Amino acid sequence: MTARSETIAVARVGRTGSPRNPAELTRTALLTTAFVAILLAFLMPLFYSAITSLKSPTQISQPNSPILPSDPATFTWNGVSYDVYYVPLPDGTTRELALVTPGRKQSEFIDPSNPEQGLISWQGSWRVLDQPWQLAPNWDNYAEVWGLIDFPLLLRNTILLALISTIGTVLSCTLVAYGFARFRFPGRGFLFTLLLATIFLPGAVTLIPTYTIFNKIGWVGTWLPLLVPAFFANAYDVFLLRQYLLTIPRDLDEAAMIDGASSLRILRSVVLPQAWPVIVAVSIFTFVYSWNDYFAPLIYLAGHDDLLPLQVGLARFNGIYYQNPAFIQAGNIMTLVIPVALFVLFQRVFIRGIVISGVEK
Amino acid sequence: MDQLPSVAVTRPAGAAGRLNLRAWSKLTPLARREARQGLLYIAPWLLGFFAFTAIPMVATLALTFVNLTLAQREPLAFVGLDNYVRLAADDRVWHSLSVTLRFSALWLPISIIVPFAIAVGLNSRHVRGAPLFRSLFFLPYVVPFVAGVLVWEQTLGDNGWINDVLRLVGVEKPPSWLFDSTWIYPALVMMGVWGIGAGIVINLAGLRAIPTELYEASRIDGAGAWAQLRHITIPMMSPILFFTLILGVVEVLQYFLVPLVLKNGTGEPAGATLFYNLNLYRTFFTYQELSYGATMAWLLFALTLAITLVLFALSRRYVYYAGAR
Amino acid sequence: MNQRLARAIAPLAVLALVVTACGPSASSSPSTTATGGPETQAPPATFAPASLRWYCCLGTGEDPSQVPTEEEVAAGFGELHPGSELKIEIVTYDAARNTLSTQIAGGNAPDIVGPAGVGGLAAFEGQWLDLAPYIQSTSYDLSEFDPGAVDFYKTDEGQIGIPFAVYPSMVWYKKDLFAEAGLNEPPHGYDAKYTMADGTEVEWDYDTVREIAMKLTVDEAGKDATEAGFDPEKIVQYGFEPQRDDLRGLGAYWGAGSLVSSDGSAKIPEPWKAAWRFFYDGMWKDHFIMTGPVFESEEFSGGGYAFFSGRVAMSENFLWTTYGVADAGTDWDLAAIPAYNGTITSPLNADTFAILKDSKSPDAAFAALTYLMDDASETLLNLYGGMPARPAKQDAFFEQLGQSDGFPAEVDWQVAKDSVAYADNPNFEAPMPKYNETLDILGTYLSKWTTTPGLDLDAEFDALEAEIQAAWNS
Repeated sequence: MTARSETIAVARVGRTGSPRNPAELTRTALLTTAFVAILLAFLMPLFYSAITSLKSPTQISQPNSPILPSDPATFTWNGVSYDVYYVPLPDGTTRELALVTPGRKQSEFIDPSNPEQGLISWQGSWRVLDQPWQLAPNWDNYAEVWGLIDFPLLLRNTILLALISTIGTVLSCTLVAYGFARFRFPGRGFLFTLLLATIFLPGAVTLIPTYTIFNKIGWVGTWLPLLVPAFFANAYDVFLLRQYLLTIPRDLDEAAMIDGASSLRILRSVVLPQAWPVIVAVSIFTFVYSWNDYFAPLIYLAGHDDLLPLQVGLARFNGIYYQNPAFIQAGNIMTLVIPVALFVLFQRVFIRGIVISGVEK
Repeated sequence: MDQLPSVAVTRPAGAAGRLNLRAWSKLTPLARREARQGLLYIAPWLLGFFAFTAIPMVATLALTFVNLTLAQREPLAFVGLDNYVRLAADDRVWHSLSVTLRFSALWLPISIIVPFAIAVGLNSRHVRGAPLFRSLFFLPYVVPFVAGVLVWEQTLGDNGWINDVLRLVGVEKPPSWLFDSTWIYPALVMMGVWGIGAGIVINLAGLRAIPTELYEASRIDGAGAWAQLRHITIPMMSPILFFTLILGVVEVLQYFLVPLVLKNGTGEPAGATLFYNLNLYRTFFTYQELSYGATMAWLLFALTLAITLVLFALSRRYVYYAGAR
Repeated sequence: MNQRLARAIAPLAVLALVVTACGPSASSSPSTTATGGPETQAPPATFAPASLRWYCCLGTGEDPSQVPTEEEVAAGFGELHPGSELKIEIVTYDAARNTLSTQIAGGNAPDIVGPAGVGGLAAFEGQWLDLAPYIQSTSYDLSEFDPGAVDFYKTDEGQIGIPFAVYPSMVWYKKDLFAEAGLNEPPHGYDAKYTMADGTEVEWDYDTVREIAMKLTVDEAGKDATEAGFDPEKIVQYGFEPQRDDLRGLGAYWGAGSLVSSDGSAKIPEPWKAAWRFFYDGMWKDHFIMTGPVFESEEFSGGGYAFFSGRVAMSENFLWTTYGVADAGTDWDLAAIPAYNGTITSPLNADTFAILKDSKSPDAAFAALTYLMDDASETLLNLYGGMPARPAKQDAFFEQLGQSDGFPAEVDWQVAKDSVAYADNPNFEAPMPKYNETLDILGTYLSKWTTTPGLDLDAEFDALEAEIQAAWNS
């Protein structure tokens, strides 16, 4: 790790020849702008989702409505609400009139500023007229979704599941990685290869008996199938931890061993204090991974609404409220805000973790 | 497929990975103690491996030779290769396999080239603020997958913003991404590309690890940007690209969660999202055919294994390991 | 239920339901007046308190507007029987079959399932509890129903259900859209003709539907589908919407039939082919029916029932449409189903509640079942728009339904009552081999037709038949 950072630092120094001449500057401006554009397109779905989450159902069902959350202008006349349109009149002026009786070739309007005047006949197709809209973000959508989806319960379940899996994964993977990194035993190479090979195994090939057995022992419908395997280590995190432990010098271990410390004690007081960056990385990865897990809760918790995590709750919510995209998007935003916040807070750890696991070999 | 944590890059352990049990007897008492302790530490994984991987795998294989269904209306019996014969004649299986393979053919190159290209761009001295870009490109990677699918479902709707933009630039009839049996694949690819953040980060780190002297030397030799890319960047990056490919293959062959959420597992439009794994999932959970589902699972496993082995064999020729033995 | 039996039963059973539903004769059965309804009976505490799960929705019941009432009804059981509780689980119709399979597979079966349609019961044949012993031991009164209606739920598993709700099909139409187009409204009576705008009287059949539906299909510029310059890419209002949940149902509006031919092989009934062709050409050639992508768009209720958008002039659908039709505005009404080849068919849905064999507390579950079908029946039938299977309750039902929030003051409910006489027989949801697989195949073709123009339909029909046959053979 330390060596790695140095390499990167060196590489950066190599890159710093800052462009001075105009041609270079133009290239920099162009390329940077291009990347800004790509990035905007890349993140656009998120903005779009946020905007939709604030729209009213009226606006969503209206073709050619404005991009921002808005409501069409209406006028209430004799107790009935009518939509207002921009109507071009024969005298050359355009006025805002409310459509009372639509017709294919001729329609009747009323003037909101002068309803006493009575109905105004207008020739033409009302469908080609534009409507005035006013900006009206529907913040209530969030409050409603909060209750409808039972967000506090889903959130509690998700956090608990993620926390327990994280504890289990960090505990078991640290032990296993310590075993692979610090002890010599016959078959170590083979076992490590076997461990890594499990990454390539399609989940389907173990799914059917696993599900059937969990079912037979009464675990289906509980959190156990999601949590217990976490305590038995997984290839990714063991690999990540082992790679890091290998970079920690053995001098201190050996000194402690000569002092008669047990291996567990060496792990606790010598190795772990030096390994915290990778442990934080593994914790955050596992937390986010478990937060985002969908398939396992879907199959193991079917029919147990009170145990579901957010992901499954959100998918179900989508099934029920598909006719109100604003609700769906509000639910999305509420679900993604926590992992995104975690990322923003811990971006260095995230990125470092990805780099260790991805580039080390 | 957005769900796997980062890509782990490792080299095949080769000769080191052979199991030699006789070695045990040759150990000194001290070494034996160390070995016992080591095995104790890896015991959680070993136990888990047997309980959640090895035994279920063997059980799955055993299931393929019987006629187990959930309702089990017929008596349980050994049926030999019947399940395999049925598999061979099952149009739906071959259709779903072709869906998976067609999607893979589209997705794999993109999933490797796009993060690489963006990383090369960000690594250029002409791009300012690369760390900020890197973080922002990574951001969607942490968006929960169901939320991501639902965000994209709206974005790709007939009147979503992508089609709004297409209409704005004069496309008369923008595609119906999610409801057309051809356009659905590019749509799924777009959703996948949203999760390439990790790929960009890995590529970027790899690029930065390439010694700058190589570029300087080649510049003195008069090599242009293209020549540098071909003769330095790509060979130096080949181990990373190769493992991205291997893991990409394993993931894409199992791909089905996005269509499961997007289309409720119906395989719409017109069976275009009936991916192999979705078909398998339905065979097990909906049609409740345990043995037949297990047979489908083994076909997938065999296929994954075969492709991975072929790729590893090829890698000896095309992948360049700096400082390799 | 085995196929042969199913085929034998389906026609009889539907007939029985029809007779029950529309026959005033049945309502004169003496027991109805004698008992004064089961609500008055004290609940017999013949079961051990239990925590029960009520699984919804293999039929109607998933709409957000329905859920709070369902939850109240479920809670009511616990209040009636302290110590017991009934908890409802809502799973959307699209996912309901899958999820229920998973739950049963997981040994995690719910107790009560419903409202479940004929198809919902058929999809899980072999998994239902025979209610007969419970009916006997609690002396449950079946005399209010026509015996034929009770037999409708008798299979070789036993009595798997008790008649509850029936939903005939009608044409739902928007009066304001007809007025805007200057067209006369469709006929309400089953023997009436349709009067064109020029005053000529024509048969109320699907040719007429096509003709007026094209006039009711309008693009952004206000041009209708019969006019030159009409832009099919920019349609803002559609003339007609069939019931497109299920290809079998879509076909059954043109004539009753079954995919299971007399020799047990897969065969598409001729009227269904005609209906599917009408549907396909309506989408891709004449443009008065929306294509799949439009159907899924937010502007047309995003894959729900397009009529609710208020911008579809006519739609064929079941009576349960009442759950959401208020969204369509306050100016809709009901009209007769048009004829095909001189025959009128109004496909029928029938919902009930059933108990799964795997239920751990069948006694309590039966008590909850009768609670739903008796104590809560009025609330639920109203909520679901389900015509009561107890004939004596039908008039009161329509009266209450008519007063629903947001409904027009005048709806011609007589159309619904009349439609029952034209119920499809055999019922389109009747059992068939490999039920779930076959439905998936049908769904795949439906999806293909609604998203792909230029198909050779004859070839499609042959391929569909062959594919179903192959699934049945394996």
